[in-house]
Amino acid sequence: MTGRERSAYLFLSLLQARTGTSFVARIGDIPVAEIPEMSAAELGHRVRMTERAARAFDDLRRDFDPTAIIDGLEQRGISAVTLADPEYPERLGAVPDPPPALFVDGELPASSYPAVALVGSRKASVSGLDAARSLGRALGERGAYVVSGLALGVDAAAHEGALEAGGPAVGVLGCGIDVVYPRSNRRLFERVRENGAVVSEYYLGEAPLAWRFPARNRIIAGLCDTVVVVEAAEKSGALITARHALDAGGDVWAVPGPPGLPECRGSNKLIADGAGCIWDVPEFVESVAPEPPETASTDEETSLSVSVPAGLPEGEAAALAGVGFEPTGVDAVAGRSGLRMQELLSALALLELKGYVHRDGSGAFVRRAGG
Amino acid sequence: MPVEVEVDVSAGLPGFSIVGLPDAAVQEARERVKVAISNSGYKFPTKKVIVNLAPAHLRKEGPAFDLPIALAVLAVSGAVPAESLKDAGIVGELSLDGGLRGVRGALCMAEGARREGLQRLVLPVSNANEAASIGGVKVYGIRTLREAVDFLCGGNEVVQAVAEESDRSESVETAEDFADVAGQRFARRALEVAASGGHNVLMSGPPGSGKTMLARRLPGILPPLTLDESIQVTKVHSAAGEGKGALIHARPFRAPHHTISTSGLAGGGSNPRPGEVSLAHHGVLFLDEFPEFNRATLEVLRQPLEDGHVTISRVAATLSYPARVTLVCSMNPCPCGYAGDKRRACRCSAGQIERYQGRISGPLLDRIDLFVDVPRLTRQELRGGEAAEPSSVIRERVAAARETQTLRQGVPNSTLAGARLREACALRGDSEALFGAAIDRMGLTGRSHDRVLRVARTIADLDGAGEIAVEHLAEALNYRRSSFLDR
Repeated sequence: MTGRERSAYLFLSLLQARTGTSFVARIGDIPVAEIPEMSAAELGHRVRMTERAARAFDDLRRDFDPTAIIDGLEQRGISAVTLADPEYPERLGAVPDPPPALFVDGELPASSYPAVALVGSRKASVSGLDAARSLGRALGERGAYVVSGLALGVDAAAHEGALEAGGPAVGVLGCGIDVVYPRSNRRLFERVRENGAVVSEYYLGEAPLAWRFPARNRIIAGLCDTVVVVEAAEKSGALITARHALDAGGDVWAVPGPPGLPECRGSNKLIADGAGCIWDVPEFVESVAPEPPETASTDEETSLSVSVPAGLPEGEAAALAGVGFEPTGVDAVAGRSGLRMQELLSALALLELKGYVHRDGSGAFVRRAGG
Repeated sequence: MPVEVEVDVSAGLPGFSIVGLPDAAVQEARERVKVAISNSGYKFPTKKVIVNLAPAHLRKEGPAFDLPIALAVLAVSGAVPAESLKDAGIVGELSLDGGLRGVRGALCMAEGARREGLQRLVLPVSNANEAASIGGVKVYGIRTLREAVDFLCGGNEVVQAVAEESDRSESVETAEDFADVAGQRFARRALEVAASGGHNVLMSGPPGSGKTMLARRLPGILPPLTLDESIQVTKVHSAAGEGKGALIHARPFRAPHHTISTSGLAGGGSNPRPGEVSLAHHGVLFLDEFPEFNRATLEVLRQPLEDGHVTISRVAATLSYPARVTLVCSMNPCPCGYAGDKRRACRCSAGQIERYQGRISGPLLDRIDLFVDVPRLTRQELRGGEAAEPSSVIRERVAAARETQTLRQGVPNSTLAGARLREACALRGDSEALFGAAIDRMGLTGRSHDRVLRVARTIADLDGAGEIAVEHLAEALNYRRSSFLDR
């Protein structure tokens, strides 16, 4: 591959970030290396361009200096992987509009390890977050890459789980990789960068514009063999990711949620349409990231247990029996368990500390599935 | 500060002027006094009359000077023996027919009279009960200017007003009762704890879950006001012109709208009047839709929440009003109100929720010990459950817990901090181990750490326990702050 092609793809990458349209999908049989040398008018004869795109093209061409860009990136330890490079992820290169270049801080998933995308709602329920975390942890234990969007909710929980288990994590951004968005994820962002990679098709400093998020979902799908949708409403970015994965021939799995809950309709429907159903975490991990049998041991703890574990004091057992797998308000738990409010409250806090229940942001309690 | 009324009548063109920094209402006293004197059958001197209100540097405000001016004028013309005005405090607004109208701030004036060592206080009959409740000064309530003159001449007997021993418990009972609240046992328990330890509360829940209804019932489970507290409350209300003409026995409940201004909340005006936070003294200040309040406005609550009083500085005066309140705030969990609700989907983005919750002033949040989520209940939940306890039963437990705190440390648990907190809330053995685990697993910060301890202390007091046991601490952990975005 020639340096000319590399810089041409870099050029296209900057152009696409400005115009928000894919040129790679449209240039057809034009040799890509020649594009930066053409004028907007010349290119306009062969590729349909809006006036705005043509202006952006000329602006960009005037002071485009690929060596300066690549040197600058290298100084910061960031690599640019273009469509012309052999390291470019194969599956991603096969999508209809692959990003011309990826800016990577860290290591992209090696093809010898499985890579699994965990995506879902930014406002997931406690059970959804719990599922994302335990999936992330189980995959991390197998050394599988956990790929996600570094957004709030499921994305963050999945990465946290993977990092807890010491597994590699890859975060795909909808903005430049030096832009931390959302800012509350700053610490997680750093940890992902250290233990895997932060990836984006946008050059440094590009802002997190709304249209860039659906677009980055094709990269998430393209980096992975498997996409898992943890909790998604009927219209959501996670479903876009799943569709990209299906188009590219990847596997799609989903975590089942309670029937009818609006927050789970999208993910449940995926299952109805034939996606894999994650009814048990170890079973799932076994099928996407198989490992030699000698270390498969602690499975019992992570499987769902419906009955109340033995050995709990009477009050706590009664309280736990009143908490469901759906978020349950304290008053409802009180009604089911028949405990006095002060007894119930202290039992719930003790159960929470022992890890049997979880309290969500609206004050409702939910049973935890496993550790 | 007492105001002395001096009158001089001299030869010259007939006229009537008032000096000594009178405001418009005091200036108008000229007309009222003139007409009232002649309509009462006395003669207004047809000479040059000068009234001086001393000390002259103090701004005089309001119509309460009518009666003292009239009596001083009559003393000069000989209708009233000047001797009788010595050692007497006189207050009252005149009507044109010589009748007397009530004034505001009678309780404060009675207290001032006592402080100045005055023997008797003559004021409109409608203020007599309020003023008499202070004790230590003889209070005489009169109806007309004529009656005042007769009384001072020793002609007629005016019954000395005495503080009414009204049935105090009755007036406490009239507040809304917890017996009417269906369900919401968690929130009820939280409010019981709040009342027992004087803790401030933040209730979060979707619209229609009953946050306001619950808050309104908090004053009813607070222990009844002591006589001293009653007097303080009445004084503030009387200074704001909201006095009811008698001692206030019920704990105040103030719920200002979220558009309230800084001076409305803290007090203000050129001659500062008490604001909502002072009017809620010894009672409950309820801030509904907490995040909608102007942040700068809420900042003025920091001093009262810390020190129990609020200082207002204006050109005319710098005043300090008492403001020891239990703060109860309520908010929706998100802008649309339905985050976490089971039956209605929330329309807000995670960012919107974060911004909405971030709008609350941090320093104020630090002064709130109890965070309660109030969910909307389903119809079965509303109907089911045991019969609700009436406020009077809860109040007895609260009073006992408060008693324990007064005996131990002299102040409610909510004000514990630093060394006193560590002393009163020492943990031993199991509870210490539990607390350590809670700090690790629930990510308690230094501040929420103290909050949990204070609340645990109150729960132990409610239980009559000397030491904080595991179950007390565990219950207290439920009242820590949770954000909808927290995991």
